[in-house]
Amino acid sequence: MEIYFKYGIIISPFISFISLLYLLFRKFSFGKKSFYSTPRGSKVKGILYAFGKGMLPWEKESVKNHLISYFAGIFYHLGIFSAFLYLLSLIFNLNDPNFLFFLIRISLIAGILSGIGLFLKRVFLKNLRLLSCPDDFFSNLIVDSFLVFSLLDSFRVKIRIFYFLLSMFLFIYIPFGKIKHCFFFFLSRISFGIFFGRRGVLPRKNFE
Amino acid sequence: MKEEKVQKDLFEENIKKIKPKDIEKALKEFISKINFDYAIFLNSCVRCGLCADSCHYYLTFKDLKSIPSYKLNLVISVFKKYLSFIGKKASRWVNAIELDSETIKEWIDSLFGRCSLCGRCALNCTMGINIPYLIRIARGALAKIGLVPPGLQSTVDTALEKGNNMGILEEDWLETVEWLEEELKQETNDSKARLPVDQKGVKYLYAINPREAMFFPMSILAVGKIFYAAGESWTFSSKNFDVTNYGLYSGDDEAASIMSKRLVDSLKNLRCETLVLSECGHGYNSNRWEAPEWLSKKYDFEVKSILQVIGEYIKNRKIILDPSRNQKIVTLHDPCNLVRFGGIIEEQRYILRNSVTNFVEMEPNREKNYCCGGGRGQLAMTRFAERRLKVGKIKAEQIKKTGAEIVATPCHNCIDQLNELNKYYKLGVEIKTICEIVADALILK
Repeated sequence: MEIYFKYGIIISPFISFISLLYLLFRKFSFGKKSFYSTPRGSKVKGILYAFGKGMLPWEKESVKNHLISYFAGIFYHLGIFSAFLYLLSLIFNLNDPNFLFFLIRISLIAGILSGIGLFLKRVFLKNLRLLSCPDDFFSNLIVDSFLVFSLLDSFRVKIRIFYFLLSMFLFIYIPFGKIKHCFFFFLSRISFGIFFGRRGVLPRKNFE
Repeated sequence: MKEEKVQKDLFEENIKKIKPKDIEKALKEFISKINFDYAIFLNSCVRCGLCADSCHYYLTFKDLKSIPSYKLNLVISVFKKYLSFIGKKASRWVNAIELDSETIKEWIDSLFGRCSLCGRCALNCTMGINIPYLIRIARGALAKIGLVPPGLQSTVDTALEKGNNMGILEEDWLETVEWLEEELKQETNDSKARLPVDQKGVKYLYAINPREAMFFPMSILAVGKIFYAAGESWTFSSKNFDVTNYGLYSGDDEAASIMSKRLVDSLKNLRCETLVLSECGHGYNSNRWEAPEWLSKKYDFEVKSILQVIGEYIKNRKIILDPSRNQKIVTLHDPCNLVRFGGIIEEQRYILRNSVTNFVEMEPNREKNYCCGGGRGQLAMTRFAERRLKVGKIKAEQIKKTGAEIVATPCHNCIDQLNELNKYYKLGVEIKTICEIVADALILK
């Protein structure tokens, strides 16, 4: 029985990925942004900034002033990557390398606490709550549940079927809700880098 | 004042009278302006709300409607409703909303009235979403159905009809230049000193902000003096001298391209090599960065800010400055369009360090600087004037903290707002352009 679920786990990310590619393909139909103006800076440097220095907390006051949220976000995403890693290890029947599992469990716990923290922040901060749509809460909860199930499964709690079902659902849901930002994030940062890079704003073009 | 009230009432009436046909037209325009990059951005907001603190409107009012993400999501919601599967099938789940009269009212109030498209949120967005450019396409959709707030629209209309946004007649412009030329002759003690108009085959075509001709002629004289000292080959155009482009503000690309084309045509007719733009933030963004996109063509000439030109003069010792002539404490306000969207960041600092003895930076500065609150049409939209002055408090406090006696800024829009803030918050400072400061330090051989 479990083997069918494993196939499901392998297939569902593919479905998700293809759906995301389809979404991307549809975006191409809007036409490419034109760049007729002569660049002053460099696109490449802009992209490098967007994924490098531009991600550091002191570069953005939105982060600098909200360090707890920033680190919660980092741990949350670290937890998600660990959960995917754990899921992969189950699919491919990898042996338990104890040290790795210890690290995975630690990051899963940090991820769960951060995810719940971010959820509560969304619930209790009035402006953030009003800004949110049902999908924002649901996406957070489903990812939190995925992390919790990963952690429980890593401790041999007998929930594997439910864990696999949840994982499949999560993968399938990605293209429909806000979780799709895991894909669009990279494209968005690239566009950001190109825009500010070619204008010589980020990184800043010196004069002297 | 009465005329403004009538205009305002008419505008309110127009909002009430929106027909389905208008909404369809606005929607068509909105969709037509979305490109690949914008579509990516419209799919990327996670509503983390971290952009809130970067916005001078939010920092002032602390309300939901001032959060950049809220404003952006007014646009995203419409995008989802018409262009996403889940938005069409489960609107409430993702807050997808129809473009109807209620949404349009909210767009007008939030996208025109609570945003100066300063771009600070874009720099602070964790996803890197270029929020102001998305808000601008929504403004463009409103422009298509005549729902740009009256003050802003009339500025666009005046520019389209009269050739410049102040409606200055050619003979009045030429008379101003003539008068300023006399002043230049006196100041330089040289009867051959000129403020050339329509000179063909010269290096620079210099475009001004019409407000200079109308209210700040000394800034034109200052540039004339600098060009004179550098022995530059340059000219004004008698007809198309307006560097501004309020189409950038209203979102009306069609109007914007007409205005941009005029300067290009002038440059071609006069066979000049480079278009040099006066100290005007949005004029620089429009003509340097946006105009080639509006006109869908690569320019075969250079477009420069006067700051780049002066910076080069100083570097190459084409002009000599004596900073001791400017001994007051000077601080610098960075215009959003010139700095955050334009990339002219260090030139003005280099110039000031060479022109004054005591230059102090505001905090934060450069691309992280706060908007003065007057940008992207805010000064023209009287219906939002109260908000504009309130959000300017952040800038006023920044200025106060520097202890400066002079605030230099290379933008006439910012100058107007800073002048108002100066009175409103009793700052007791002088507001000057960079060129005026340079002209004061200039040593004429």
